[in-house]
Amino acid sequence: MPLTLTQRCCHLLAPLIPFTVVFIHLSDDDGVRQVFEEMRGLYDQNVAAANDSTADPDGTAISSIAIRHAALERNKRCLMAYVFNRSKKLRNMRWQFGSILPPEIKANLCEPEIQWFNSYSKCLARYMKSIGGQGLNLAQDVKPPKSLYVEVRSLIDYGKFELDNGEVVLLKKHSTHLMSRAQCEPLIIQGVLEQINH
Amino acid sequence: MSLCQSYVPNYFSIQDILATQEKVPCKFEMQVKHLGFLDPGSDKRDIEIGTSIELPLWMASVLNSQRPSIAEVGLPKIFKEAYRDIMKADPCVVDLHKLAQYFYEFGMCLCMLKHRESSEISSVLVESFKQRFRQILDWAQHSTIEVPESKKLDETEKMIYHMGREVGSSLYLWLTEGGSLITAADMVIQHKKMKLTQKDLLH
Amino acid sequence: MDPSEVEFIAEKELVSIVPNFTNSEVHLISGDVGPFRAGLPVNVPIWMALNLRQRQKCRIIAPDWLDVEKLEALKEEEKSNRFFTKMPSEHYMVVAQLLLSAVDDDIPRVEEIRMAVKDLWDVRISKLRSSVDTFIKTGGSHARLDYLTTMEINSVRPLLPHALDFIDRLQKASEGASRRDMASQD
Repeated sequence: MPLTLTQRCCHLLAPLIPFTVVFIHLSDDDGVRQVFEEMRGLYDQNVAAANDSTADPDGTAISSIAIRHAALERNKRCLMAYVFNRSKKLRNMRWQFGSILPPEIKANLCEPEIQWFNSYSKCLARYMKSIGGQGLNLAQDVKPPKSLYVEVRSLIDYGKFELDNGEVVLLKKHSTHLMSRAQCEPLIIQGVLEQINH
Repeated sequence: MSLCQSYVPNYFSIQDILATQEKVPCKFEMQVKHLGFLDPGSDKRDIEIGTSIELPLWMASVLNSQRPSIAEVGLPKIFKEAYRDIMKADPCVVDLHKLAQYFYEFGMCLCMLKHRESSEISSVLVESFKQRFRQILDWAQHSTIEVPESKKLDETEKMIYHMGREVGSSLYLWLTEGGSLITAADMVIQHKKMKLTQKDLLH
Repeated sequence: MDPSEVEFIAEKELVSIVPNFTNSEVHLISGDVGPFRAGLPVNVPIWMALNLRQRQKCRIIAPDWLDVEKLEALKEEEKSNRFFTKMPSEHYMVVAQLLLSAVDDDIPRVEEIRMAVKDLWDVRISKLRSSVDTFIKTGGSHARLDYLTTMEINSVRPLLPHALDFIDRLQKASEGASRRDMASQD
């Protein structure tokens, strides 16, 4: 039935509204499949109605066809928006979490989405490598850097970490370190370290 | 830093899809075969002439655009004269979230349907937003936390409010702490919070 | 823009320092700086001044407007004027923030200056906010932004442009509606 069906589509979309939820919900493969089935049903009914000229002496069949066709288009739009907005969110995640997603998030993606994420990551890496001959990490220095070194505090027991100069430090919860900005920035962004303000 | 663009509905826009899902009363002027199930109050096979059903706006606009038109599209309660007068009297106190979550977008779509009262509706839309804007501006810039009253905003107003609030709190942070701090990504912070609450629920 | 990006732009402003070392001219993309002679004042970009100061290589001379009486006078003028008044620096707020936190032992009455700058900022921001509101309510089509500084303009972005775009859409919907009304009367 077209009405309940397009409503089901809206249920698919609701969790994706900006500002309400940051995380990707479990990909609703079953819901998507149901919408497809209903679309096929609508299409078949329309084909049958269009071919059956005897059933339409007064020309009213055209209105049912128009309504069913609109429902078909509507469903298509909802599905496209569903896929599009999820991949938009995934793209954002690449910039915030880096190329490795937390397992809880990865578990909510469907197979094509994981493939999409990986190829987006690869594409981005290839582009960054190509900039200016020797490459440029676009995820670095998201804010104008002020100093080469910053003081940081570890928020979790991260373990051993090798600095640029070969020295190995132990990042323990609450331990403080002076590190090169370039090296600790990704760790701060991923919530391992926090910068200490003076 | 990301590019900031004003919201304009497009094919993929969820806001627009949900706004056009809001219901409007439709009075059928033609018999429609096999689609009787659209009327939840009847179990007939067809929709008869004269039947009134509340249908989503996207479907209503199809009914309205056929020649001859299949149904006459009426006004939903929120855009009728009585409510328009409430909006005119003091738009700032109205809880749009409760009345019509997509007040403006829904209203603009209705205007496209060449309704008799379209121009009255659109002037209410423009005036309401102009009056309510001051609140959004103040809430966004005065406070670093989300103001509880912001729950009364329509979805587009909310979008503008949230954008403003991000700027307001980054400015506050700059004034109090200075600008050079590197901070964790928003999604990372929220992810951590979510994991913590899940842990709390388990124990 | 993030405030830190506005700050980055403001760091190009020049400030006077008295170096305690001697060095020849430095050639930078943005222009030449120096030469430095120990004990002689020289103009350098703020970012360089802060860096030298941090390494105890110079003393920063605060700009003359960074002074309690001058700032109070500016505030009074701002209050009595309907329009925005000209600030001594295009980035007065950033310059004050940066210099005051770096040179607190070079300048007397730092706390008072800090308060005065903040007062001036608050007066201007609330003026900005009410003029934005009036602008929206009266449906103005243009506004003069003379003497508003980058950080101040940035504080109403993207809220104001977004609201204006939205009003434009609402009005277009109404124009469309009224055009149709006229067509149906013919």
